[in-house]
Amino acid sequence: MHPLDLKLLRDLGTMKGQVIAVALVMACGLAVMVMALSLVVSLEGTRDSYYRAQRFAEVFAELKRAPNSLRARLAELPGIASVDTRVRGALTLDLTGMSEPADGTIFSLPDNRPQQLNLLHLRKGRLPEAGDHNEVVVGEGFAKAHGFEPGHELDATIYGARERLRIVGTALSPEFIYETRPGDALPDPRRFGVFWMNERRLAAALDLDGAFNSVAATVAPGANRRELMARIDTLLEPYGGQVAYDRENQFSAKQLHDEITTLRGFAMAFPTIFLSVAAFMTSAALTRLIRLQREQIAQLKALGYGSAAIGGHYLKFALAIVGIGAVVGGGFGLWLGQAMTVVYRRFFLFPELHFHPDWASAAVGLLAAAGVSLLGVSGAVWQAVKLPPAEAMRPEPPAEFRRSWIERLGLHRLASPSMRMALRNLQRKPWQAFFTLLGLALATSITIIPGAMRDGIAYLMDFQWTQAQRQGATVSFIEPGSAAALGAVGRLPGVMGAEAFRAVPARLRNGHRERRVSVTGLPRESRLNRLLDERGRAVAMPLHGLLLSAKLAEVLGLDAGDPVRIEVQEGRRPVLDTVVAGTITDFSGIGAYMDIDSLRRLMREGGTVSGAHLAVDAARWEEFHAQVKASPRIGSVMLTAKLRESFQKTTGEMMGTMQAVYFGFAMVVAFGVVYNGARIALSERQRDLATLRVIGFQPREVAAVLIGELLVLTLLAIPVGLWMGGHLTRWMIEMSSTETVRLPLVLTSRTYVTAVLVILVSSALSFAVVSRRIHRLNLLDVLKARD
Amino acid sequence: MTPDRQPLFHVRGLTKIYSGGEVEVRALDGVDLDLYEGELIVLLGASGSGKSTLLNLLGGLDTPTSGELKYREEELADADAATLTRFRRDVVGFIFQFYNLIPSLTARENIALITELAEDPMPIDEALDLMGLGDRADHFPSQMSGGQQQRVAIARAIAKRPEVLLCDEPTGALDVQTGIAVLEAIEQVNRELGTLVVIITHNASIADIAHRVIHLSDGRITEIRENEERGSVKSLRW
Repeated sequence: MHPLDLKLLRDLGTMKGQVIAVALVMACGLAVMVMALSLVVSLEGTRDSYYRAQRFAEVFAELKRAPNSLRARLAELPGIASVDTRVRGALTLDLTGMSEPADGTIFSLPDNRPQQLNLLHLRKGRLPEAGDHNEVVVGEGFAKAHGFEPGHELDATIYGARERLRIVGTALSPEFIYETRPGDALPDPRRFGVFWMNERRLAAALDLDGAFNSVAATVAPGANRRELMARIDTLLEPYGGQVAYDRENQFSAKQLHDEITTLRGFAMAFPTIFLSVAAFMTSAALTRLIRLQREQIAQLKALGYGSAAIGGHYLKFALAIVGIGAVVGGGFGLWLGQAMTVVYRRFFLFPELHFHPDWASAAVGLLAAAGVSLLGVSGAVWQAVKLPPAEAMRPEPPAEFRRSWIERLGLHRLASPSMRMALRNLQRKPWQAFFTLLGLALATSITIIPGAMRDGIAYLMDFQWTQAQRQGATVSFIEPGSAAALGAVGRLPGVMGAEAFRAVPARLRNGHRERRVSVTGLPRESRLNRLLDERGRAVAMPLHGLLLSAKLAEVLGLDAGDPVRIEVQEGRRPVLDTVVAGTITDFSGIGAYMDIDSLRRLMREGGTVSGAHLAVDAARWEEFHAQVKASPRIGSVMLTAKLRESFQKTTGEMMGTMQAVYFGFAMVVAFGVVYNGARIALSERQRDLATLRVIGFQPREVAAVLIGELLVLTLLAIPVGLWMGGHLTRWMIEMSSTETVRLPLVLTSRTYVTAVLVILVSSALSFAVVSRRIHRLNLLDVLKARD
Repeated sequence: MTPDRQPLFHVRGLTKIYSGGEVEVRALDGVDLDLYEGELIVLLGASGSGKSTLLNLLGGLDTPTSGELKYREEELADADAATLTRFRRDVVGFIFQFYNLIPSLTARENIALITELAEDPMPIDEALDLMGLGDRADHFPSQMSGGQQQRVAIARAIAKRPEVLLCDEPTGALDVQTGIAVLEAIEQVNRELGTLVVIITHNASIADIAHRVIHLSDGRITEIRENEERGSVKSLRW
């Protein structure tokens, strides 16, 4: 090995504490990058091949009822590659061992023609046989949650009729990779399932003999998807067609896409922060090393080593740290990615979801880390390179100090000699102080994230299910009903109050921006399902105009007072130009709300209701459930307490892991930055500190001098870090805010206190490590040598 | 001097062995010595003769491998780190070849470092005036010459009124004129405050100002010479 490389190895060995500290900070950034990008590659790769293999449709449309003969005309539309028509309906389930009802969506499978699109991936058993059998295939999520196997039977109500369904198989579908009730933020496989049945039998059950009410299609190569969707809309309009939507707006596909987008954001954001901190740490450590090795550099130059050899030698020092960081970070990232894959398997139902390390992104990460580090140390290395040998042979001129500005302000009487030493040192190297402060502030800010997420979730749950949705249950009818239906629901056992709602599918338009949403009409004096503003205050339902979820207003680019067009997709499909009366705050899904009477007038209907929000006597849930299961008109029931419970369970699991990871990262950064800073300060001032020991300072008094400087920085960094943490959290929340789920920004004193404690503990740990070195200072060596 | 007085330092069979890996260095090999209050001692010897080791042991910076080392009635040979720290704090003043001032503190503040620790310190201005540094009190080390810095170091060492002043090559980094000025200051401390002063030096001519001159070679005392007539500092030349 070249002697310079041997020197490098030994220098690394001497500085191993700092090398490890810097490498670990770098490793955190690389780990997140490798994890997130590998997950992106894994999810995208698995998704794309799954979509291809199961021929996942590209365009979807729902309609009221069209004769099967229309299928041929659909197939002839220009730009269509293949088309499937099917029957789709809702069912409620009465499951033994579960008092509350579950519900689901059921689709038809073609009897006498091959299925074209959205092929099932059969996991167990077989597909239903053609004919008059009540055979079903069950989605795997629901089947697993209940332990259903082929051969099991269950009771369901389909379109008001009680049916006994026989499970013949379990399957996965590309339409339900995310197997949730459309609009729900998180899967609840105990209470929602997907089913498939043969077409003739299901059509009969849904009173759709010889007809279909759902279309899936693919676009021919080279054809324009938007034009095809417009043609489908035109063709289906007379049959109660709702506007067609593409894959991007298909619920499950959108969830998956949102998750991937969030991961991509993470993959950029975190490494940027961590690598910047690591680059500064490397720069500080190397600057000090080069200063200590002035004479060695001069000797090397005197021996005939050129600038390139010497520059390269010190650059390799930075690269060695990058190497260690890459190995540790890469390994940890892969491990984290694998752990996350296990979590994802529960949310995203693929036939197989394997973790594929993304070596390309790992390489990009490595290059980024190397680039940032080399940039960070270039200044220090340049110093080494341009040092004339003769000058380098002489020791550095003595450090010049001035009174610090604090003293010049006359505050010096407050400062002890130790504190003055600290202040003057900080002032002499403002950039070093600034970057140490920045590193500490970043560490503090990272610590804010987990606390803010925990509090955000608690706030969300309270907001959503205590403040806004005060109803115990929400029932939806299989078809809009009359006032009498509302009366019937109000008479269910245990129901103490009922508020009707009317929901119609609609397209909201603002210029070229549009969204398919459900426009919900609510009573103006709603007490159960309340609409709230961002501060949790009830928003009065206006007589005219729409209230929009803030997120919906954002995606449509609308503000209060702006005109908006409502294109209703039901009944006579009226179009209404109205205004945005205001926005409301909600954290899951996007919605549009208006006065129920205005909506009915728009629909030219009387007291029509889609369902009702109910207050239910807690003592009578059993009776209520039993009666609901027996009510043929009820299509689905959502129980607020169960939603809350399943949300808590799912997010609780995720949050525990995430919090541990964030805290770990913050501690690594805080410990690393303080330790690196303390080691550099110790090295720079070894002689001063030894002198103090010689003249009779006790080790702890000497440590106080050194720590004073870092303590000043830590204390200055904390408020900056808390402020930055608020913004970092806001940015992260905005980055991961989707149309299906959003987290509020909640910053409590508990979060701040925790962050401060984490930073103080990490700092104290590194102080303790450095203090041990002060005990071991060699008093004799330093006194002989000039600095 | 008066050998019937109680010595400040009582040293018998003092041995220090540095074992660095396979090599064992006997830096000090059975030294017997008594040092008295008010004496000015010069330790002479070549590099590696053991004079720095002896000074370090006397100053409580290190502990011997074997032998007896007493300061008044206090046994220092097997004292723990805390005892040695207290000993240095209360008893000893150090002067180093490279001054060892804290660069971020002014002359006055460097001295304050000591006076804050000491039980009965000199007023800082008195220490500065004694060294003729009244006008330099608020200068940082980088704003002073070598001689001025060394005089600040002496002022710092004497400000706590130490019983012992240990000087390791105090003129080693200075030119003749400045060196003489520094030695005058040290001699003045010895004369006016009655402090036991031990000076290590390569410079044999400095020996003239000592009460006793101790020669060391290979870790042993080869000669102890008492100066019948001490030379004045001003007349020194090297």
